[in-house]
Amino acid sequence: MILFDLLFMLLVAYITGFLYYGLYRNITARFQRRLGPPVWQSFLDSIKFFSKEESISHGWMFYLGPVIMMSGAIMTLFFIPLFHTGESFKGLSSYGNLFLVLYLLVLGALGNALAVGASGNPFGVMGVTRGLSRLFALELPFYISVIALISVSGSADIVCIAASQTEWNAFAYPLLFIAALFSFVGMMGQAPFDVVGAPVEVYSGPASEFSGKFLALLMSQSAIFTFAKLVLMVHLFLGGASGFVELLAKSFGLFLFVIAFGAMYGRFKTPQSIDFLLKVPTSIAIVGLILATWS
Amino acid sequence: MEFSLYGLSDIVLSLKVTALANFFALLIVLSTLTVLFIAPNYRLKRSFYLLFTLLVASLFLIVYAHDYLLFFIGWEVMSISTYFLLSFTLSKEALHKYILFAMASALSLFVAILLLYSTQHSFLYEDAKQSYLAMSDGVQQLFTLFMLIAIFIKLGTIGFHYWLVDAYEESHNLFTPFLSAMLSKMGLYALILFVANITQATYVLAVMGLLTTIIATFKAIEQESIKRLLAYSSIAQLGYIVTVLSVADGMGGALYHALIHTLVKLLLFINIAGVIYVTQKEKLSDLGGLIYKLPQSFVFLLIGIIVLAGMPPLGGFASKFMIYTALLDAKYLLLLAGVMFSSASAFIYVYKLIYGIYLGHPTHKNLEEVKEVPWTFLAPQYLLASLLVIIGTFPGLVIPYINRILGELNLTLLSFETIQTLITSYAQYNGFVVMGAFGGIFVLVLMMFMLLRSKAKKPKNRFDIAYCAEEPNEATHLHYGYSMGQELKRVGLIHLIAKNSSKYFYDFLAKQMQYFSEVVRKIYSGNLLLNFNIAVLFLIILLLWSLK
Amino acid sequence: METGFLQEQKVLEGDLNSENSHQNSVDFLMNWFRKQSIFVLAYGTGCGAIEMPPTFTSRYDAERLGIRGAATPRQADVIIVSGYCSYKTLRRIIRTYEQMSNPKYLLALGSCTVNGGMYWDSYNTIKKLEDYLPVDMYVNGCMPRPESILEGFIALQKEIGEGKASSWQKYEENYEFYRKNQEAVLGKKVEPSYEADWYLYEGGL
Repeated sequence: MILFDLLFMLLVAYITGFLYYGLYRNITARFQRRLGPPVWQSFLDSIKFFSKEESISHGWMFYLGPVIMMSGAIMTLFFIPLFHTGESFKGLSSYGNLFLVLYLLVLGALGNALAVGASGNPFGVMGVTRGLSRLFALELPFYISVIALISVSGSADIVCIAASQTEWNAFAYPLLFIAALFSFVGMMGQAPFDVVGAPVEVYSGPASEFSGKFLALLMSQSAIFTFAKLVLMVHLFLGGASGFVELLAKSFGLFLFVIAFGAMYGRFKTPQSIDFLLKVPTSIAIVGLILATWS
Repeated sequence: MEFSLYGLSDIVLSLKVTALANFFALLIVLSTLTVLFIAPNYRLKRSFYLLFTLLVASLFLIVYAHDYLLFFIGWEVMSISTYFLLSFTLSKEALHKYILFAMASALSLFVAILLLYSTQHSFLYEDAKQSYLAMSDGVQQLFTLFMLIAIFIKLGTIGFHYWLVDAYEESHNLFTPFLSAMLSKMGLYALILFVANITQATYVLAVMGLLTTIIATFKAIEQESIKRLLAYSSIAQLGYIVTVLSVADGMGGALYHALIHTLVKLLLFINIAGVIYVTQKEKLSDLGGLIYKLPQSFVFLLIGIIVLAGMPPLGGFASKFMIYTALLDAKYLLLLAGVMFSSASAFIYVYKLIYGIYLGHPTHKNLEEVKEVPWTFLAPQYLLASLLVIIGTFPGLVIPYINRILGELNLTLLSFETIQTLITSYAQYNGFVVMGAFGGIFVLVLMMFMLLRSKAKKPKNRFDIAYCAEEPNEATHLHYGYSMGQELKRVGLIHLIAKNSSKYFYDFLAKQMQYFSEVVRKIYSGNLLLNFNIAVLFLIILLLWSLK
Repeated sequence: METGFLQEQKVLEGDLNSENSHQNSVDFLMNWFRKQSIFVLAYGTGCGAIEMPPTFTSRYDAERLGIRGAATPRQADVIIVSGYCSYKTLRRIIRTYEQMSNPKYLLALGSCTVNGGMYWDSYNTIKKLEDYLPVDMYVNGCMPRPESILEGFIALQKEIGEGKASSWQKYEENYEFYRKNQEAVLGKKVEPSYEADWYLYEGGL
C-alpha cells in the first residue's frame, strides 16, 4: 500500500513538475511578449536528452552525482506529505520531520557538487562555488521562519504544522512568510538570486559538463524537486492541502508569484546576494520570530 | 575507591567508575587503538611512545578521578606530556604558544579548585555543589571565571584557540587525530562535570558556543592548509557542544555529538594523514584529482564530510537533531537559528576539503603516480566509517548508554523506544527508514539509469572538458576551487570575521606585559640597597596591615 | 551527396507524405522527440551571428518551435556556422563540434559556407565548409534573415524526423577525409591534439 502511495506521489510530482516547468517557460515568454513553447516542451527536452546516442561521463563519481541528486529529490518528496488530512499520500513523512527535510533539500546539491568537481570543469566548479557561498545566506531566513513555526505549533512534524493553522500562517505571521519567500525564490533558482547557473557568465555553471542522459536526469530531478519544495511551502505557510485541487491551486499560485518575481528582477552578484539576504530578509525574519513567539 | 594522602588525612581522594567516566574511557580506548594502527608507517623515537603512554594514562586518571585534586594532577600530566609530544615537530613559536596557554589553563584550574576547597574543605565531586553554594556571590563569579578559562583553553573556544590551530597544524600526523579526538574532549569532560555538578552558566556558554561555531566556521572556510582547516572545524564542532550544554536538557545532545565528533575527527585526520603520507603535500593548493588514485580514501572522506555537515543518512544528522531539539525545547530560538546557520556554512569548507584533495585536476605531475594508501591507514577508517553508518541507521543505539549517564547525573532521560528511532518532544525520526529509503531509491534510480539506451562514454584525456572551445593543458590553471570562499570576504559581516584575529589581542597583551616588566626591572635592578629598602618598606606595610 | 544551397528548398518543397521506410517505431519515436526539441549552441562564428539574436528573442521567438539556446557544447544538438569561417575560427568549431554528443547537427548560414562567398579569394578563410565538417542544412542568403533561418530550422526538423539528418555518422565514417582537409589548412596541430580515434571510449561508470 505504501509502495503504491509512493509511486503515485512520484508520478504526480513528475507530471506536475514538468507541467509547471513548461508553464514557467510559457509565462516567462509572455512576460517578454512572445508566444513561448508549448507546455510540454520541457518534457520533450528531457526525453530528447534521454534518447541521445551518447552521454559524456568523467568517471564514476561524475556518473553517480546525478543519481545522488535524483535520489535526494525523491527522498525530499517522500518525506513531505501531499495532504495533511486523511490517511493516504503521506509518504514516509511519519518517519521523518521538518529538520530532516531541511537537510534533504541540500542533499542533491551535494551530489551535484561532487559530480561537477569530478568532471574537472573549472566553470562548473565556479558555479558550485557560487551556489555554496550563497547557500548559507539563503537558508538563514528560511531557517528562522521555520524555527518560529515549529516553536509556535509545538511540533516539527509537517502534518502537525499544516494542521495547526486555523488561519494561514502566511497571514498569521506575515513577516515570517515574507522572509521565507525571499529564500524560496532563491531556492527555486529565480532572479535575483540566480547567479549559480548564469549561462552567459559561467558557461551555465554546474551544468556545464553534463550531457545526454545526465542532463536529462538533472532536468527530471529539477521538476520533481520543484514540486516537492512547493508542497513544503504550501504546508508550512498556506494552510496545507486536503485535496488535489487545493494542492494544485495553492502551489501554482505560489509558483506564479515566484515566476513573476523572477521575471521582474535582474541578477545579484554573489556577494551582493549574500549581503542582501543577511541584512534584509534575515532582519525581517528575526522581527517576525520575536513577534510570533513573544508571550 | 577513596583514600587519603599520606600525612594529610583531611584531604580525601577518590577514584570512581561512573557511566560518564566509562563513556569517555571508551572513547580514549577507541582513539588510542585507531591511532596506533597507523603508527607502523612512521619511524618514531621510542620516547614518543613512552610519552604517548604517559598521556593515555593521564587521560584515564582525568576520567576516573572523582575529586578535583586528582583531576588536576591528571590535567597537568596531560598538558606536559602533550608538550613533549608536540615538541617533536612543532616550531618554537607554536610550542611556546602551547605551553603558555596550557600553563594558563592549569593555573586557573588550580585557582578554581582552591576556591572550591576553601569553603567546605573537600575536593570531591559530590561536595562541589555545596562548596559552590557556600561561596559569596563575588567568589562564585571568580570561581566560574577561572574554571571556564581553564576549560575554554583546552576546548579551544574562540578567543582561547590561539594555541590550538598551530598545534594541530604542525603536530605529527600520527598525533593530530588523537589531539583533535581526545585532548579537546578532556576540556569537554571538565565542562560536563562543571555543568552537571556545579552550575550551568547558561548565558556565558550560549554566547561563547554560538560565537565559536560561527567564527570558527568562517575561519575554516578561509584556510588553505588541510590540517588548519580541520582544526578550525574541530573548534566549530565543539562550539555546538558548548552551545547545547547551556540549556537544561542539552546533556544528551552534547554527549551524542561528542561521540560522533570523536569518530568523525579520527576518520578525517587519519584519512588526511594517509593522503599526506603518500603525497607529502599538506596544502589544498598542492593536491587535487586524487579520486581515481585513492578511491577508497575518497569514499571515507566523503563519509566523513557527510557526517561533519550533518547530512541525513549518516550519524551526523542524529547528533545535530538532538542538539536542535534540545535548543528548541529550551526556546532558545535565535540560538538555534545561529547554530543551523553555522551548520549550513560548514558545507563550504567540507566541499572545499574534498574538492581540493580528491576532485578537480592534479596540480603536480607526481600526483598522477601515487598509489592507494597502505592498509594500515584504511583499516581504522573501515572501522570508524562503519560505526558512523551503523549509528546513522540505528540512531537510538546509543541512547540507553547516554540515558545511564544522564540518570547518574540526575538529569531528564531521553525517550527511547526502538534502536531505529530518535524521539524528542518535538519530533521523531527513523534512521532505518531514512537509510533504507535512500539506499533503495539510489539503487533503483541507478539501475534504471544504467539500462537507458544512451551510452555513457568517457573521454580518453582528462583535459577534454567543455572549455570555451579551447584545449587546456598542464599549464592551464584548472584546479582553483580550493580557494573557494574568497568572495565571501567582500561581504561586510563576514569580512569582519575574516579580518580580525585573536592574534591582535594577544600581541597587545604581550606588549603590555613587556612594558610592565620594564617597570618592574627598573625597581628590581640588582641594586642591593634599593632592593633591601623596598623589602623593608613592604614588610612594614604588611605588618601594619596585619595589626589592623 | 546532396550539397549546395538548393538543399533546404528541396526539403521544404518535398512531398509531405514521403515514406519513412527504413525507420522502426522506436527510432521514429526518438526522432520525433529529437525533432521537437533542438538546443542550439550559442556560438557566433561570423557576421551571420548578428541574425541569431532576433531569431531567438521576442521578435521571431524560435522557442515556440522548441528551438532554444544552450551554453555549452555538451548540451547542444545543433551548431550554427554563421557565415565566413577563418582558419582560427575553424579550429574552435572543430573542437566544439567534436565535443557535442551524438546525434549532432550542423547548420550552415550564408553563401560563405557554400563556396566562400565574397571571401572567395581570402588567404585565411575556408571556402567550402563541407570539406571540413559535415553539414546537415544550408540556409541561403547574405545574410539570411531570421525568417529564412527559421525556415532552415523547420527543414532540419523535418529531416531529423525522417531520420535523414545523419551527418554525425558521416563524420565518423569518413573521418580520414575530413581530418586530411583540416590538417591541410590548420597544420598538424588540429585540436584535439590527442588522436581522435574515436576519442571517447565506452564505459562511463
